Order: sequence, then C-alpha cells, then structure tokens
Amino acid sequence: MTFEFPKSLDDLPISSPKWVGKPVNRVEDPQLVTGKTEFIDNITLPGMVHCAILHSPHAHARIKSIDMSRAAALLGVVATLTGEDAERWSRPMYTTPQGWGGYVLATDKVRFVGEPVAAVAATSRYIAEDALELIDVEYEPIDPIVDAFSAAQPGSPKVFEEHDDNIMYQRVFTWGEVDESFQKADHVYKESFRWNRVGANPLETFGVISEWDLVDDTLTCRGAFQTASFMAMGRAATFRLPSNKVRFIAQPHGGSFGGKGGGRGTDITLMLSRKAAGRPVKWIEDRMEYLSSGGSQAWDRHYEASIAVNDDGTVTALRVKLLDDMGATAEGFGATGAVKPMASFTGCYAIPNAEYDLTLVATNKLPASPYRGMGPPPHNFVLEQMMDIAARDLGLDPAEMRRRNFIPADQFPYIIASGNEYDSGEYEAALDKVLEMAGYEQLRREQEEARAQGRHVGIGVVSTIEPGVFDWNAYTVIGTQGIGIPEGVTVAIDTMGKITARVGFALEGQGQYTVVTQLLAEYFGVELEDVRVVLADNLSAPPNFGPGGSRLGVAITGAVLGAAQRLTEKLTKVAAKLFEVQPEDVELLDGMLRVKSVPESQLSVANAAAIMLNRSDMLPPDVDPSPQATFAWTAPGRVEPDEQGRVKSYLTAANACHLVMVEVDPDTGQVEILKYYIADDCGTRLNPANVEGMVQGAVAQGVGATLLEEYVYDDDGQLLTASFMDYLLPTIHEVPFPEKAALVTPSPFTPLGAKGAGESAIHTTPAAIMCAINDALLPLGVRAKEVPASPNRLWKLIQGASG
Amino acid sequence: MAAKRDIRLTVNGVAYEATVEPRMTLVDMLRGELGLTGTHVGCEHGVCGACTVLMDGRAVRSCIMLAVQADGADFMTIEGLASREGELHPIQQAFIEERGLQCGFCTPGFMMSILELLQETPDPTDDEIKDALGGAICRCTGYESILKSVRSAAKKLLAPAS
Amino acid sequence: MKPASFEYFAPTSVADAVSLLQEHGLEAKLLAGGQSLVPLLNMRLARPTVVIDVNRVDGLSYVREDGDALAIGAMTHQREVERAELVQRVNPLLHAATRLIGHPQIRNRGTVGGSIAHADPAAELPAVALALDAEMHITGPNGEKAVPAADFFVTYLTTTLEPAEMLTEVRVPALPQGTGWSIQEMARRHGDFALAGATVTLSMNGGMCSDARVVLFGVGATPLRVQQAEERLIGERVDAALISEIGREISSSIDEPLADIHATSEYRRNLAGVLTERALVEALGRAA
Ligand SMILES: Cc1cc2nc3c(=O)[nH]c(=O)nc-3n(C[C@H](O)[C@H](O)[C@H](O)COP(=O)(O)OP(=O)(O)OC[C@H]3O[C@@H](n4cnc5c(N)ncnc54)[C@H](O)[C@@H]3O)c2cc1C
Ligand code: FES
Ligand code: FES
Repeated sequence: MTFEFPKSLDDLPISSPKWVGKPVNRVEDPQLVTGKTEFIDNITLPGMVHCAILHSPHAHARIKSIDMSRAAALLGVVATLTGEDAERWSRPMYTTPQGWGGYVLATDKVRFVGEPVAAVAATSRYIAEDALELIDVEYEPIDPIVDAFSAAQPGSPKVFEEHDDNIMYQRVFTWGEVDESFQKADHVYKESFRWNRVGANPLETFGVISEWDLVDDTLTCRGAFQTASFMAMGRAATFRLPSNKVRFIAQPHGGSFGGKGGGRGTDITLMLSRKAAGRPVKWIEDRMEYLSSGGSQAWDRHYEASIAVNDDGTVTALRVKLLDDMGATAEGFGATGAVKPMASFTGCYAIPNAEYDLTLVATNKLPASPYRGMGPPPHNFVLEQMMDIAARDLGLDPAEMRRRNFIPADQFPYIIASGNEYDSGEYEAALDKVLEMAGYEQLRREQEEARAQGRHVGIGVVSTIEPGVFDWNAYTVIGTQGIGIPEGVTVAIDTMGKITARVGFALEGQGQYTVVTQLLAEYFGVELEDVRVVLADNLSAPPNFGPGGSRLGVAITGAVLGAAQRLTEKLTKVAAKLFEVQPEDVELLDGMLRVKSVPESQLSVANAAAIMLNRSDMLPPDVDPSPQATFAWTAPGRVEPDEQGRVKSYLTAANACHLVMVEVDPDTGQVEILKYYIADDCGTRLNPANVEGMVQGAVAQGVGATLLEEYVYDDDGQLLTASFMDYLLPTIHEVPFPEKAALVTPSPFTPLGAKGAGESAIHTTPAAIMCAINDALLPLGVRAKEVPASPNRLWKLIQGASG
Repeated sequence: MAAKRDIRLTVNGVAYEATVEPRMTLVDMLRGELGLTGTHVGCEHGVCGACTVLMDGRAVRSCIMLAVQADGADFMTIEGLASREGELHPIQQAFIEERGLQCGFCTPGFMMSILELLQETPDPTDDEIKDALGGAICRCTGYESILKSVRSAAKKLLAPAS
Repeated sequence: MKPASFEYFAPTSVADAVSLLQEHGLEAKLLAGGQSLVPLLNMRLARPTVVIDVNRVDGLSYVREDGDALAIGAMTHQREVERAELVQRVNPLLHAATRLIGHPQIRNRGTVGGSIAHADPAAELPAVALALDAEMHITGPNGEKAVPAADFFVTYLTTTLEPAEMLTEVRVPALPQGTGWSIQEMARRHGDFALAGATVTLSMNGGMCSDARVVLFGVGATPLRVQQAEERLIGERVDAALISEIGREISSSIDEPLADIHATSEYRRNLAGVLTERALVEALGRAA
C-alpha cells in the first residue's frame, strides 16, 4: 500500500482546520504546572537502593589497586561495583568511531577527570556518598594529554595504548574543483578560529532506576532517556542478552538538547542491581557529575578556513579544516557533531566547490557529547565570519554579500556541494524581511553616529540552514550505522469513541504530544480532550527513535497521518457495509464517514468504531474487529554516501536570518545586545507557539555559547568549571527578546510541508553575534576569532589594538 | 551518624512531622520524606532556582537549607498553588496560556518566586520581574514567555474577581 | 552531592552559641543564612563535625538607628536591609550594595553577619563596611568587643574572628548629608559575584573635595582601601582629567590580583581602574 501524505493543511479531511497550525495550549502543561509530572527522581520503588559513583580525580593515571572492603562494610551499603565486574559481565562501550572506549568503570587506567572508577548502592544517597569516601584507590598518575594540537602530533603520548596514535578519525572530503577554484579566484581569504567547549545542561540531569531480574535475566530501566529504544538495544548488546529481555521505560524529562547522556549510569546501576540480588537501583546524576562526567560537553574545535571569492562577491569555493577534540573516548556520539556540518556545509549559499579536512583527536578530557544543533553552530560561525571578511575587503555590505551568494528560490530542490539536498527555501525573502523589520539603513546610520561618538557599535546579519530530519545514512562515514530508524504510532479508538495514541518517546519539552493530539483531533473531527497520548515502553511501542536531529515533529506527523489513514480505511469499510455502498463511495469529512453522493447518509467515526468492537454482525468480512492502526514513518530515498561522503541525509532545510546589533565596551570588553531581529522559515508550523518557543530558547542557548558558557580545563586536565558558579548559563538578564517574524516555505518532501525545527536559532545566534562584535571592532582593526567572546578576551584583543 | 531529630512543619496548610538526620537538606526532606516531589532539584548548590519554595512567605532555595531548620516554619510548594479542588492558580493559568514552560522542570521554582513577587508587587515592571527571576535558570524557554506569563498573571490577579 | 554527617545544635542565645563554639573548637561552624556554607557542605568541601545554627538565637535580627549610625543585627537577612526604608534614607550606599548581592531568594536567607564573617573578597558588604568605617561587634568567651572594619578583614575568607567568637552586630555610620557615593561592579552575569568592583564616597565643599573614600573589591585577598587615590582627591577640584588619572594609577599600581577562569590579574587591574573612574563620576554627580 502506498501512502499519499497530505501535502498541506488543505488536504486534511476537514472543511477548515480547527487545531493544526494554531497555537493551541499544550496538553502536557496542566500536569507540569502543578508539579505532578513523573520525572525519574520522583519515583520510588519498593526495595529501591541508591547508587553513588566514585569518579577519577586524575586526568590520566594507571589504577594500581582498588579496595572496596571498607566501603562494603559500611552500615547501609548493599552492593559495590568495580571495573572487574564490568569486565566480567559487559562488553566495552559502543563508540563512534569504533574501538575508542573502555568499560563503563575504569579497568586498567583512567583517561579523564570524572571517569567512573567504582560504585556503591546503599539505602540512601547520603550513605552511598559516605561509602565513596571509604573506597581506597591507588593511582599512578601519567602525564595528561590535554592540548589537541600536541595530541595530534606524531609521537605524542597516547590516550589508548592499543592505538598507533591519538587520531580517532582523519579524512579529507573533496567536493568539486576545489584547488582549481582557489587558483582561479580573484581573492582568497584565510583565517583560523577557535570554538571552546560548551554543552547542553538541561535543568534536569540524567537519572535512572534499574532492575536486573536474576531469575530470568530480564532488565528493566526507567529513566530520563531521550532515545529509549536505542538505549535498550545498546544494553542488550553490552550485556549479551536477547533484546526482548531489555525493557526501557522513558520518563518525562526536564530537557535534553542531545546532552542527557546516561549510558554509563544505566549500565552501572544495572550491574549494581545484579549484585544487589535484583533490587531496583536508582542513580540521579548530580550537577557536578553532569558537568564533569556526564553528557555535558560538546564542540572543542580548532578551525582553519579559506574561501575563494570573485570580484563581484560570489564565493566559488570553501575549505574548512577542523581539529575536533573528542576527549578521552568516542562513547558520547560527539563525533557525529563533526560530521553533521556536511549536511549544510555551504550554508545558504550556492558555493559549488568545497573541502572538509576533518581530524578527530583523543585527549584526556571528558568525552564529547552531542548538543542541540549537533555540530553546525561552530561551523556556521566560521563560514559567516569568512563571508564578512570577504565582504569587508570587497567593500560590500554584509547583507549584499550574502544576497549575491544565496541559492535562488527557483533552484530547489538543490543539492549542495557536500551532497545533501535542500528541499525548499526563500533565503532572500527572509533576509529582506529582517532588513525591513530592523530598518536596516536607519540602523546603519545609527551605527555611524555611534561610531562618530567613539562608541563601538556593530551589526551582524547572518542566514543559516537548520538541517532537519536526519536519517540512518547521516553518520555512516564515521561508522555509525542504523541510527535514524522509523518513528511510529499506534492510534486506537475505543467503544466510547475516544482516541488514544501510543508513542515510544517521552515528554521532553518540545510539545510533541500536543502536536499528535492536534493532528488526531483534526483528522477525526473531535475535540482535543477526546484524544490522549500515552507512552509505551520499547517492547510495546511501534518502531521509534525519539527526538533528535530535528526529526521528531516531521516524523511523528507522518506516522500519525499514516495511522489515521489506515484506520480510516477500516472505518470506511464499516460505513460502506452499513450504507450498502462500495468503500470508494465513502469519505471522511469533519469526523463523519459519509456517502459521497448522499451526504445525509453519514456515520460518526465514534459509531463506526463502536460497531467494529460490539457488533460482529455488522463487520465487513475483510475487517478485523479492531479500530486501531499502527504506522511508522521514515523518509524515502535514503541511500548510502558516495565515495566522497556525499549523501542526502537530512530531509528538510529550514532557514533563519538573524540581525543583531551590539555594543562593545572597550574598557571592560563587555558586550551588550542592543537590538535583535529574526525571520525564521521552517515550513508549515503545526503549532506556531511551539516553534516560537524553540526559537527563543535556542537564542538563549546561542547567547550562552557566544558570551558566557565555556568548559575550561587546566594543563593537568582538571576541569575548572564543575559547578554552576563557574559554568555560566544565561539568565533572564542576559537573554535578548528578538522581534520575530515567520515565513512559510513548505517542504515538498514532508507530510503537511513541515520542516525540522527543534534546533533553530542555535545555528544562527552565535554566528550573528560574532559578526556583530567584529563589525563593532572594525574601527579598531582587530577581529574576535574565539568563542565565547568573554569580556576578558575582548578586552585583551582591544588592548592589542591600541597598544 | 549524628542523632536524628524530630521536626514539625506546615506545608501547604498541612501539618507534618518528620524525623531527619541533621545533614539532610530541606529539599530532600520535602521530596523524599513528605513525598512532595513537585519541587525539583537542578544543581544542589543554590544557583539554578529549581528548588525554590516559600518559607514563611519568602522565596528560598530549599537545596541550601537543612531540613532541621524547617522546624516550626510554614511552607508553600508547587503542590499548594492550585486549589484543593484542582482549580489552577492564575499564575499556572498564565504559564499555560503564555507558554511559560517547555520541559517544565524549572517551572515550580519560578512560580514560587513569582508568587512572592506578586504578593508584594502586584503590578510589577519588567525590570522588577527580571530582578525577581534573575536567579533562576530556565534552559528551554529563553525567558521571554516566562516574562509574559508574569505580566499576564499579574493582570489576572489584579482583575476584580468575577 | 550530599553533606557528610555532623552534629547539630540550635542554641537560643549568643552565650550558648559561644560556649558551643568554645567546646567544639575548629570542628564547629556557625550556620547563619547558609547561602555560602550549605553549598560547601553539599559539595563536602566544608566538613565541620558540628554545625551550630544561630537562626534561633533571639534578638540578632534588627536594623536600628543608633545616634549617627545604623546598628544591624548579625542575623538580619540581607533582604530586610534592602527593604528597610531607614537604610535607604540614612545610608543609600549600603542599600545599593545590598541589592547587588546575588538574587532576592539568596538575600531572603543570607545574613549581614554571614556575608561579613565569610569575608569573600568579591563580596559587596565587606567592601562597603570598609568604605563606611563600620564597626564589628563581636562576642567571645572573654565578652564583647568592637573591631573597626579596617582591622577586621585579614585575608581571603579570613577575619580577626577567633574560632570561639561570633559576630553579633555591625554598626555602620550614616552617610553624611550631601556625600556623593557609588558602588560599581562588573560580573559575568547579573547577580554573580563581581570580577571586580569599586565603591566610593566623596564629600565636596565649595567645589573642592573635602573627604573621599575609595575601596576596591574582588581584586585582592580582602577589600582594599586605596588611600593613595583618596589623597589625590582631597583638596582638589574633581574633574574628568583627575578621575581618569586616578583610574590609570589604580590599574597600574595595585598588587597583582588573583587570576581565575573569568579574569586574568591584568584584566582585574584594568577593571579596578575603570570601575573606580565610573564610581567617581557617579559619586561626583551625587555629591552636593
Ligand atoms: C547563587 C548565589 C549567589 C551569591 N551572590 C553573592 C554576591 O553577588 N555577593 C555576595 O556578597 N554574596 C553572594 N552570595 C553569598 C551570600 O551573600 C551569602 O549570604 C553570604 O556570603 C553568607 O551569608 P550567610 O548568612 O548565608 O552565611 P553562612 O553561609 O551561613 O555562613 C558563611 C560563613 O560565615 C560564618 N558565619 C556566619 N555568620 C556568622 C557570625 N554571625 N559570626 C561568625 N561567623 C559567622 C559561617 O560559619 C560560615 O563560615 C551568593 C550566594 C549564592 C548561593
Ligand atoms: S537545586 Fe537549589 S538552586 Fe539549584
Ligand atoms: S522549561 Fe525546561 S528548564 Fe525551564
């Protein structure tokens, strides 16, 4: 059966949309605003004990001995665990690239400060932490490898003895005539950049409760899992168990942004449960653990970029060389973040030739994790600085420079040099919208006046792509197979006509249960209250992956519409039998199954379902008495990458244009955001309030990354930012509230034309703010090339200018 | 282990007794001993505001207070904001309407600070709102919708009861 | 992140608190607002075996006018100081400084005595206490005494308080009518501890500066009074040129401040000068 997905809201079986496309209130909110939502730490199971984990104080050391006896003897301690147990019971961690990891508890040596070394389970977390102080570990420190450049040198001391060096991955991807383009170009610009580590920091850290049933070797884990099914498969592999013996129940969680982590904590609690005769073991990662050893850190990058530009400003080639510091292991999927920029390598621009020289290096720092945006934000920062550098030199206005290079609206779908296909876009329209909102010319005049008064005011105008809806083929070049599985839903109508949708992903904040509710209420012509979305564990849910890669909104829309259509086919047959017509003569409209030629002959969806369940005599022979349908959606036409890694990996390309005006205080280096405008185009907006919330939230994270947040390690590999006193998340005082406009260029490839939108502004905000800062610094003749642009850094830069 | 202590306190109008170790934090007592899990924990060192509750009418961080210090005090937590019949408080209604939350993990803490603010300053300026909320972290919303929620809640609370 | 075990006492009088301190010596810690102490307990960075909670000691929470000074009980919440109309009227600098401490929720618990006894070099209250010649009233095993702010702060997180002594009251002289004042600080985020700060009082008489105080914070091991700068001001017509000269002198003359991940010592020095200039400009504008 092939499905014809509705291309737009007009194609839905209703006279006029009542819910979809409207900013309806979220169905998840009443529970959340009353504090009733079941986050993992709210759950207490009978017999449950509490885990605490001992973390390495050294960045690099051999473990000579571990003595757990004093800890085990403490009153209240139920079980203890070390790397020996992990070696006996589990496989080394799955890593990407493969072969760069150890066991979940260190065995031979520790490779970063914070690496789990041992664990205990006790009757309270307090006692468990007391027990940690009684564990005797003898370390023999080794010189840590902290600097990425030295680590990448031949002959550097090694993080993993079994490898030849610290290079986890190295490859040059060449797309088109790169050398020739640089030779022929009128102008070539070259610059290097530094992006320091930042990361997700959801307000809720990771947490899990694990049970290892010793009688039949089944595992049950409840936790703050972003991708429960994927985690479950991983555990089956790790513990060599049949995958249907691993049950994962995702609890609603307090944000994730890709950086929830949790693999180690889950495995450690499972093994502790095994040692504690199957008692449930809870582990709630505390904030200092999250910052120093969780899924908290991403994007530790050293860039060199060059662009080839003609006199008229058209860019003919882009070269980016990246040294990405992955930290000690490749367990965290941080490497995917270095690959994802290939999905939007040349941004909004028609740059025909490009090259990506990519090196992933191991050092003695926390393994890198994903973070919202998954890698392009630093890449965009680099690309957009290069665009500004070229514009300045050519005497072009930065907005004009971009306009001259945009992929024209009539060229879509458009395949970029690195192989991904952009579905649709109106980049120039978005730029024009922003310029109009900002009153660009007037703003430039204001800037001139400010400059005349000696103030350092600058404007950045940046357009970016948000690749959306990743697929299994997106990360195969670094050896990650099979991520990007279908997203499914089961839709059921009960005998009272109420609708239940069963999904496999937990609440995380994006409002996806509301979207499912809107779609189903719309499709079947009922009220929002008539629909309920419930979560199923991995064993009972339809195929699913969950949020990630800006995919869930699109994927779940496809799944819901597919299931609704399947269900409608059954209901239609019931109605056809009742009215004694052919199924083709019956249609669904506004919640009624009606005979096309005799609209008065109609049967409500609820009644049709009730007939199926209660009246076998009225059931058509080819219909089973089940008003339920399951559908799993996946993007069509996803194939393997070619020999240069070119691949159609992300189905949609959302676009945003940001204009920001800042002032730099030359005496303190402090940046103030004066004005901020955004035009955002993510295709059809299923719930515009959801999208706006995401945009604003991502602006905040972008501001954090650009001005405040940074993980700092000293030369010994000690983390200096292990608390919220030092890792600075933006507050209400630091976050601007941009004026926002929506453009809608539907995707021709997705159900209803929606595009992936969950990452949104983080792709653009850092680039835009940095462009604005550099515009402000222009009269001083210096350029900021390091993110975050902390006051100290900018001040120092400015000192260099005048002194 | 130090001797446990008996304490009595009122939370959301209900009197409780608990026996706690002196080292137990207030938030661990509220959540673990009293089962009031609506108050969340984001950092345990006083920076994020997730654990904010009202103690004798004042917004305080329950992660950096000891449970024993609660003896004799009167608390309000998120569980006490809606009426016992389940009717949402205007602040809660405003958060739903203005999208003042995404994951909702920070929300109870924010609401407690907002309650203190609006009790003292029924019609706050934006600067007053920012001052009252500047010590709380929301990683999802970017704060704009929270600010709008406060404005809207203030309006609702000022409107004569209909 | 849970505290290690400790014995807990909640004395109801200063005398009891002091005798408990005497009994338990260095093992014991006073618990006031807990806004600095409890995070350290949670992280197990502070490990007292005895915690003496002085929140139940009667009569230590007040703000009173006493002659030409404000008498503030050590256990007075910072928020009460901020709210007290009396403080705003008699000592607007103290009011402004208090508002710069953290956030309302912190000030609801944090105490005046706690902040001063904790003596974080970047804290506002110690700096203002020094600038205003506050007097610390202390009770110990040998009775009561008063120590001027100038003698109170010894080094990083250390004061002249002996292990068995407790700060009970802070007396802050009123700001004389017409005195110009300012407190300027630079923090990474609103409400964070300052990277550096400067607080200034300035008395002008017939266009000439008759008295001045310049105190820096966040740049040394204690709040730092810059007498050199005060001497440059007194007897002078304070103008833009003098102010920027003083700023420059401060930036180049103060001892190398501590460096941390947010600020190098070079940068802190610069901030000290810049913020002093800004404080002087503002204070001058306020001086009558
Ligand atoms: C998020 C956050 C932000 C903050 N920002 C700032 C800021 O910007 N500026 C700032 O100045 N502070 C800031 N603080 C700290 C806050 O001001 C504290 O209140 C203050 O430092 C300590 O006061 P306390 O009453 O809480 O003391 P406690 O934490 O109870 O005690 C601190 C120390 O002082 C001792 N002590 C307390 N009272 C006495 C006494 N009467 N006699 C003798 N010893 C005593 C204690 O034994 C302890 O060693 C912040 C705190 C947090 C959590
Ligand atoms: S949990 Fe209490 S302030 Fe963060
Ligand atoms: S809504 Fe998620 S942290 Fe605020």
